[in-house]
Amino acid sequence: MGKVPPSFRPAISSSLTRKLPLEIPTPNHIPEKITKKKPPQHSRKPQASSASGKAKTLFKSPDLSSAKKVFNYIVATTKSSIDLRFHNPSCNPMPQSPPSMTPSPFFITWSKPNHFNMMVNNGLKPNQVTTDIAIRSLCEVGRIDHAVELVKELSLKQFPPDTYTFNFLVKNLCKCRTLSTVYGFIDDMKRSFDIKPDLVTYTILIDNVCNSKNLREAMRLVGVLNESGFKPDCFVYNTIMKGYCMLSKGSEAIESKEARKYLDILVESGHLPDAVTYTSLMNGMCREGNALGAVVLLKEMERKGCTPNSCTYNTLLHGLCKCRLMEKGMELYGAMKSAGMKLETASYATLVRALCREGRVAEAYDVFDYAVESKSLNDVAAYSTLEVTLKWLKKAREQGLAV
Amino acid sequence: MLPQRLKKTITDNPKKLANLIDLVNLPSPVREFVGQSQISRLGCFMRVWSYIKENNLQDPNNKNLVNCDEKLKSILLGKSRVELAELPALIKLHFPKVPKSAT
Repeated sequence: MGKVPPSFRPAISSSLTRKLPLEIPTPNHIPEKITKKKPPQHSRKPQASSASGKAKTLFKSPDLSSAKKVFNYIVATTKSSIDLRFHNPSCNPMPQSPPSMTPSPFFITWSKPNHFNMMVNNGLKPNQVTTDIAIRSLCEVGRIDHAVELVKELSLKQFPPDTYTFNFLVKNLCKCRTLSTVYGFIDDMKRSFDIKPDLVTYTILIDNVCNSKNLREAMRLVGVLNESGFKPDCFVYNTIMKGYCMLSKGSEAIESKEARKYLDILVESGHLPDAVTYTSLMNGMCREGNALGAVVLLKEMERKGCTPNSCTYNTLLHGLCKCRLMEKGMELYGAMKSAGMKLETASYATLVRALCREGRVAEAYDVFDYAVESKSLNDVAAYSTLEVTLKWLKKAREQGLAV
Repeated sequence: MLPQRLKKTITDNPKKLANLIDLVNLPSPVREFVGQSQISRLGCFMRVWSYIKENNLQDPNNKNLVNCDEKLKSILLGKSRVELAELPALIKLHFPKVPKSAT
């Protein structure tokens, strides 16, 4: 049945990551930002700044032995002035270099005993930024077990991770380990280091559990959340609604009714449903074949002052085409086209297919042209879809399934 | 369903992708039409399609049909009328068939 447009899922996760502060930027930007935002170390010895400047450029090469040599040289010559600013960028050469085999063992040998011990021995304590970079880089290369180990080791040494690092780790654990492992980790951190899961942690768990279509567990987590004294916020509700809507299939409107209830709960608890909320609900309704209801929802959404975004329109277009409501679909497409809105891969494919099914091949070509012109898709993707659809059309015509 | 199959067509299938975008030495009719000695199947399609649009070769009564002029006939099997639906298939004929080896 209809699939959730790929950009939809990040809408949820980007709403989660919105909670991350700017000081802990994404790994690719870390070297620059760290050197600017590092607060305490105001002892701006010229050697230090030149060292950190050098660090950024020197460690760009993926060649591990030469980088090591360079580092040792710098350490030996500028002993007194090495501060945290140098170490933080040097902890993170890895995301800069191309994904070759060597960086990961390189990084591991760095961030594990040697480097941190060296830092501690030089009187510098790894701070939360260091921990964060280390964890993120480890997760990026898939060394998630090392990341967990590192966090525990650091927590033992009185350098506990902050909530952002903790949540990031939880999120990655959810992606590649079983749920019980994740729960185990959380319990461990709570017992040993008094690091408690917060609202964001719970939302991550609920999201993950919903993706595995385990709504019962999701509801149990909501219960736990309430017991821990947290009030579910917009993100939690959106996640739950998305969970219900993903379950939707077939002609029974059960799931979307449940999701609809949550919309009301959300409003009652004083939160404002946003575009994401409405889009997930629309998606659920479309999956159940109720595209017209989704259109009505669009109007309701606008009435309540919530501006639909590109994802909303794409979801709706996809739903209308799947439900074969081509008149409305083309109307919507026309509106999107005049607004210069980009098409998503799923809605583009569905639209082309729906048009071909009705024998409107020239219009399908038109959509192809628009997709290429608006750079919604690259040439290859747009053309491949068209070609595949036309091939399908030929067969369908032979079988009498299309005009 | 369709989007998933598509992902397999494009990204997971490097052979098919190469088939589409690799430059190929062309037989003379196509070479004349395109004005280049090499072109990819994708590039060729884009050229033909824009040629059709620029010269208004679509039948005004039925835009799904194309009335071929002499140039177009030379590469579309001499047909004077062609359906838009068959355009990619016709163009594909000019391009070497990739032997299907055990995947």
